[in-house]
Amino acid sequence: MRFQKATAMFLAAAMALSLAACGGSGSSAETTAAPEPDAAAAATTDAEAHAEETEAAGAVLEGPVAVFYYTYGDTYISSVRAALDAALDDAGIEYQDYDSNNSQTTQTEQVTTALAQGASVLVVNLVDTGSDDAARNILEQAAGKPVIFFNRSVSEDVVSSVDNSVFVGTDYEMAGHMQGELIGNYLVENYDAIDLNGDGTISYVMFKGQEGNAEADARTQYGQEDADAVLEAAGKPALSFYDSANSNKYLVDQTGAWSAAAATDYMQTILSQYSEANGNMVELVIANNDEMAIGSISALQNAGYNKDGAAVIPVFGVDATDAAKDAISAGSMIGTIKQDAEGMAGTIAAITGNFVNGADKFEGVETDNIVGTWRVNIPYGIYTGE
Amino acid sequence: MADKNAAALSKEKWNRIGNLLLNNAMYIIIVLAVIYISIAKPTFLGLSSIVNVISLTAAKLPIALGIGGCIVLTGTDISAGRVVGLTACISASLLTTVFKVFPNMTQALPLPAVLLLVMAVGAAVGLVNGFSVAKFKLHPFIVTLSTQLIVYGIILMYLMNGTNNGQTLSGLSDSYRSFVTGTLFKVGTVSVPRYVLYSIILTVIMWIIWNKTTFGKNMFAVGSNEEAANVSGVNVSRTIIMVFMLAGVMYAITGFLEGARIASANANTGLNYECDAIAACVIGGVSFVGGIGRISGIVVGVLLLQIIFTGLNFLSVDANMLYIIKGLIILIACAIDMRKYLVRK
Amino acid sequence: MDTQNTAVSNTSGNQEVLLRMEGINKSFPGVKALDNVSLTVKAGTVHALMGENGAGKSTLMKCLFGVYSKDSGHIYLEGREVNFRTSKEALENGVAMVHQELNQALKRNVMDNMWLGRFPKISPWCPLTSEKKMYAATRKVFEELEVSVDPRRIMSTMPVSQRQMVEIAKAVSFNSKVIVFDEPTSSLTEEEVEHLFRIINMLRNKGCGIIYISHKMEEILRISDEVTIMRDGQWIATRPAKELTMNEIIRLMVGRELTNRYPEKDNTVGEPMLEVRDLTAAYSKLRDVSFAAKKGEVLGIAGLDGSGRTELLENIFGTATRKSGEIFVHGKPVGNKNARDSIASKFAMLTEERRATGIFAIRDIQANSTISSLRRYLNGPFLSDRKLSEATEWGIKVMSTKTPSQKTQIRSLSGGNQQKVILARWLLTEPDVLLLDEPTRGIDVGAKYEIYQLILNLAREGKTVIMVSSEMPELLGVCDRILVMSGGRLAGEVDAGTATQEEIMTLAAKYA
Repeated sequence: MRFQKATAMFLAAAMALSLAACGGSGSSAETTAAPEPDAAAAATTDAEAHAEETEAAGAVLEGPVAVFYYTYGDTYISSVRAALDAALDDAGIEYQDYDSNNSQTTQTEQVTTALAQGASVLVVNLVDTGSDDAARNILEQAAGKPVIFFNRSVSEDVVSSVDNSVFVGTDYEMAGHMQGELIGNYLVENYDAIDLNGDGTISYVMFKGQEGNAEADARTQYGQEDADAVLEAAGKPALSFYDSANSNKYLVDQTGAWSAAAATDYMQTILSQYSEANGNMVELVIANNDEMAIGSISALQNAGYNKDGAAVIPVFGVDATDAAKDAISAGSMIGTIKQDAEGMAGTIAAITGNFVNGADKFEGVETDNIVGTWRVNIPYGIYTGE
Repeated sequence: MADKNAAALSKEKWNRIGNLLLNNAMYIIIVLAVIYISIAKPTFLGLSSIVNVISLTAAKLPIALGIGGCIVLTGTDISAGRVVGLTACISASLLTTVFKVFPNMTQALPLPAVLLLVMAVGAAVGLVNGFSVAKFKLHPFIVTLSTQLIVYGIILMYLMNGTNNGQTLSGLSDSYRSFVTGTLFKVGTVSVPRYVLYSIILTVIMWIIWNKTTFGKNMFAVGSNEEAANVSGVNVSRTIIMVFMLAGVMYAITGFLEGARIASANANTGLNYECDAIAACVIGGVSFVGGIGRISGIVVGVLLLQIIFTGLNFLSVDANMLYIIKGLIILIACAIDMRKYLVRK
Repeated sequence: MDTQNTAVSNTSGNQEVLLRMEGINKSFPGVKALDNVSLTVKAGTVHALMGENGAGKSTLMKCLFGVYSKDSGHIYLEGREVNFRTSKEALENGVAMVHQELNQALKRNVMDNMWLGRFPKISPWCPLTSEKKMYAATRKVFEELEVSVDPRRIMSTMPVSQRQMVEIAKAVSFNSKVIVFDEPTSSLTEEEVEHLFRIINMLRNKGCGIIYISHKMEEILRISDEVTIMRDGQWIATRPAKELTMNEIIRLMVGRELTNRYPEKDNTVGEPMLEVRDLTAAYSKLRDVSFAAKKGEVLGIAGLDGSGRTELLENIFGTATRKSGEIFVHGKPVGNKNARDSIASKFAMLTEERRATGIFAIRDIQANSTISSLRRYLNGPFLSDRKLSEATEWGIKVMSTKTPSQKTQIRSLSGGNQQKVILARWLLTEPDVLLLDEPTRGIDVGAKYEIYQLILNLAREGKTVIMVSSEMPELLGVCDRILVMSGGRLAGEVDAGTATQEEIMTLAAKYA
């Protein structure tokens, strides 16, 4: 009982210390050493920056660049972050990273905080892609400061509503189209080997990452449709979902996390029911991302497939994560669609630099990739090994 | 008079039958579910399908066994999933062929060393949880909510270490994978993975701890009446701390097994695992009232959930319906079970 | 509903019949809890309902309040047949009950508890609750009943007796015609009992019908007009209180003669055993208590509620924090920093609130018996089922506990049997000093006698028993010496063989 007062004091001290420590390490690690402007100074810089911008383009913006990632937990986004941190360091631009932890509320509040600290440019990996409101709200908060959205889609209406906003993304439907094409071509080339039961059609399973996500929807749809198109052009029958009773024609991660574990569990259950011995083996695995591809490979390997010397059920993913590249070079996976993390980071860094230095926003950006005045598309690439 | 007696007798008889049904409701639900699913899809009762259900149950059992103790103490532990994630990442980073987190390493550490290491990590998180609950008298919900965040932060930092850049860990060493997912024995052509054996061993150990040790008896006493336990000479704080540490060790073992089973560990590994584990415990009769619960109940709970999920999968149920059915099952199962502990009026 | 009201007539004298229960039957699986029980309560009288625990008093009341639905029988309130389905309905019709086991929202304040479920509104148009009205209404009821409790005080900060008074005030505040008191004095001090009796007399004069359930003979004979006695779910007798004697009531209740309420004292006080020096508590007002107790002695501790009796035991046992003071056993100092420590130095403590700090309600007899002595049943690192069940069996036998089996949940036993299980728990630790806080609270007459016998047996075996009780006759009947506490201090010491209740009361008021 008596120790509690002392303990409480100790805890309070520990808390104060840890906050101080975090503040210290944050500023030294994430931002180049510029003295933090106090609130009043920040307000004046704000006003000045704003005024300068409207009056004369070509002036230099002051204050750090604030970068918001929808979650640090996403493998691909982590690659972008690592590349972008490096690119901004190289360019000598002061910046601060934020983890929005998959919550739009958190992100919106972080934007407010960053602006209060005098951020000059916002680089936003939006959380909520379902509606325009979140993005619009951020533009309103920015009040004329440049905003670069990236990776997670924002509609043209919103981005075009102000001059100094850009979306750096990928044509998200492209990934699905390219995956479908990759699969189609691979199947046409190796048709008989893949058709294990020799019934003339390929039975497949599709792992979807999340319900209600535009990218997952597109990949699920085009990954199969485009493969069918290639097959039909080659005179082959269309793919057939392994379970004819399933009207969805996909299995979705119930937690919406695009997780490997979900794919492993699904695949294991499938393999308990469908096998070569029964003549109904699943002959193709299409996954919305590499995580799920890797997860399904784990279950396949446990069942004796996709490892040294064993039969390989072709597995396709999207993202070209390191793990997927390793699996492809080991032969347990066939192909993936590469999201170019370095390319995206480089483009974002270039545009950020342009805003900070008052240059034209698209200066130095590959012109083929620019869409209208609002968007830069980073092309996907097919990856089937190096 | 005779009529009246007969009527009273038959009423009592029906009462007894009703009670019998309700007291064994979980088993009855399982049997009904199995019958229904296997009529619709006869392959559900096939050898490979049974092995599949058993091995998936085995994979999800250790975390539930750990969380069960926390629930017996009228608490909960929502840091479980993140601890699984952290320990899976640690296991995967050390038992690998590509050392991205620790670029200076050239050879995987010995398996037992890594297993002990992650168990220590799990126990350490459990120690923080248990200490805060026992000494600061905080509710386990808020304590584990906090540690859950802390552990997530550690996972993210861990994955940024070396040349990994937050990437998914893979390229696991063969010895690690085969230690966990290798074939225990074959039934016909179907192989049973090794982790089923580990799960059985853990279940037996936990059963002994819960039923045959002073620690187990003390845990139930603290769960059912903390004050009375204190007066009776039970070291309440130590009991609470040990329950959480034991739980942490179980999560760590889950993480170690999951790392190899899924063969990919990243920041999302283990996310929300605690939800299914808590649901399974409560379905199995580990009550939030405290002081009530059995290891057999937890096994039944995990098994029931797994049979339902796998069964719905076999039945090709629409994905949206899955959520609704899952929710209803948990709700109804818990309601039936809770009934046993209500004081009847 | 009204078809039978012609059947009701005023059968006795000038007092109007308020409540009539006729031929009530109620069965639980395997048990006939009520067998054709009838009860008639007249306006302006106190009707005592007596019987051992399990005789069916509570079941009968629960049938009245609709907590249980009766199997057959009729209930008439002022000549109109009623069949309440909920206690709320009963309250609305003027039938209220003060429960034995307080079911209060302890974290809320007094007035929130008083008006729970019927909070006064600011006005019919503004459905927000009015703190002001609630406060005023509470004050009014309290003033009427002369209760001095701040309506804003949080329940959990008040002693049990004051919480009991709040419960009584709540029942009165419903303007009920019939009020049931279920063991209202079990946690009240003598002084508070007097206060309660003043309230009951006031209600009686207002024409209310009071049903008074109690085990305490003296109270019953003092306060009641009529007495109904039940045994084993059956009605045994209804007599005017004037015609009954204590022994007569006991005979009717127990069904046999019970000539002595206290067993014969046959313990011999031996050498000095325990010495407590200048004990002062860190967080309660207990201070500077010094006393000594001998081997084979039963030492009583008397005092008003809040005088520090319980705190004294808690400080000796280490479940409360000591500021200063020392404890010696056989002349050697012992630490007793916490319960574990005290058990190691062979102390045992039976707590006052059995339900809150004594029993593990949902656990079985075995778990409840063995929890304090688990180490004794180890086989290597594991507990031996055989040793556990042998120890439990021993406890059941020594205490003559009535239980279907070791695996029965303790909450399904009667209060007396629960107490025996807890006593067995402590005997299994083989203690030298037993601290018993209200060992017979809420236990029926027959079982009380058994507990007294057990206490004396322990003393005869050379153990030191220190016993706190609010019932002075009990202390005088069982103890060798009695220490009297007042205001956190030791007010004096009397010899139990020669002392009178008045002597003790005078000492108890010394520092109060």
